[in-house]
Amino acid sequence: MHIPDGFLSAPVWGAFDVLALPALGIAARRAQRGLDERNVPLLGVMGAFVFAAQMINFPVGPGTSGHLVGAALLAIALGPAAASVVMTSILAIQALVFQDGGILSLGANIFNMAIAGVLAGYLPYRLLAHAHRASAIFLGGVLSVLVSAAFAFAELAASGVPMPRRLLLLSMGFFLVGALVEGAITLAAVGAMERLNPHWLRAPEQKTSPALRWIAAAALLLAVAGILIASRYPDGIEHLAAPSAPAWLHAPLAGYRVHGIESPWLRRSLAGAAGLILIYGACLFAGRLISRRSA
Amino acid sequence: MRYAAIEQWSRQQSVLHRRDARAKIGALLAFLIAVSTTAPASRIAFAGYALLLAAAIAAARLPFPALVRRAALVLPVAAGFALVLWFSDERARAVALLEKSFLSAVATLLLVATTPMPELLRALEILHLPRLLVLVIHFLYRYLFVISGQARRMRLAASSRGRLQFRSAAGALAVLFARSWERASGIYRAMLARGFSGQFPALAPPRWRAADAAFFIAAVLASVAVRVAL
Repeated sequence: MHIPDGFLSAPVWGAFDVLALPALGIAARRAQRGLDERNVPLLGVMGAFVFAAQMINFPVGPGTSGHLVGAALLAIALGPAAASVVMTSILAIQALVFQDGGILSLGANIFNMAIAGVLAGYLPYRLLAHAHRASAIFLGGVLSVLVSAAFAFAELAASGVPMPRRLLLLSMGFFLVGALVEGAITLAAVGAMERLNPHWLRAPEQKTSPALRWIAAAALLLAVAGILIASRYPDGIEHLAAPSAPAWLHAPLAGYRVHGIESPWLRRSLAGAAGLILIYGACLFAGRLISRRSA
Repeated sequence: MRYAAIEQWSRQQSVLHRRDARAKIGALLAFLIAVSTTAPASRIAFAGYALLLAAAIAAARLPFPALVRRAALVLPVAAGFALVLWFSDERARAVALLEKSFLSAVATLLLVATTPMPELLRALEILHLPRLLVLVIHFLYRYLFVISGQARRMRLAASSRGRLQFRSAAGALAVLFARSWERASGIYRAMLARGFSGQFPALAPPRWRAADAAFFIAAVLASVAVRVAL
């Protein structure tokens, strides 16, 4: 689900651009550390593969078919950091060349699919693969789609897009089916890939720190609770998110107030530009900090 | 093929094509921010934005109908949400959603239709996007069409043999993965043999001229003017 430009309000896309870009810098650093140079073409070609894989239709029930989304598959094959970079490149090309998703909302899309979606697809594999590998892979596929969709809905709701209760339930059901299909496709594809060459997939790492387990459990709990609350009180989320977004959310965008300027329009545009410059600065700063630390 | 059009457009010659990619990226962001923050009710402002874009398309000497048709790809999604808004009795916002998403799509398309992808990526690298990410986008764009072609041929072959089963679709996916993997290692060896040092050499290093600064400032001023005055 790629959010085009024009859907999200300025504080929402601004906040997610600020959030996504430094996270992306971290992912790129980690990916670069974990891979040797020959993997650069590999990552690009894997992105092209996920793109092209959407042409292969998987029959699901009579008359309908689904296709791979790919976040979980990439995370299992390449590791989460590299998968984030590849998913981000896919989103960038889709936004630029295929008019699928916006430019200002790219941060939100990257956060939903390339960061949250990839992590949600990878954590079950990392944590449960020793106990039951197949269900871990399946769960990864399911969660990656569900988490991405949940974030997209939250962003739209926070931008004041009305979500009537029935429509919300309907689209949630739709996404749940889509998530189950993605889980099944991921599992089948991983199985078929392993039969061809078992070295393509990264073995799940042996040691798992207990902290990671707790984080994963907490994240899962939060996600389930969020979905339950959302399905029960959709008006509640709107009330929570739309009119009274916390003050700090506006603060990075200079709160739409640049002193000494009369026109409110000019003020907002200036605030928008200031926000963008701030994003750019934050990314530069984060990049420097990370590179210094890893050097 | 549809995507080939952008590649062709971006190699043409015009005033807009000659501008530095950084100036065009900056202009695009200014325009998108102006559109994004425009109040839904200000109809005339949206007409103003459309005029700005029309002028830019004319200056770039791009085919107007084809460009508009491509940008209209965004409309089905927008129309779905616009319907929801319309039936929630927010008519002005419903129309504004369509206008905003369409205008933004045209503007984005203008950037990629006047800037060859290697130039655009080079500009993003100069603007300090992570180098790995820029390289991966570069490879993705180059091999997208090769591997898509492969997938299309596989789909054609499968559909001429009959309906694809779930398991055999998974098999096809794995074969596509295998071929992509092999292609990637072949590409890497070929690049090493030609002296690849981890960076794409730019044919002509980008140069920021006075005209680029003038274009950037004019685009920002025009966007802000429409946003403020109309």
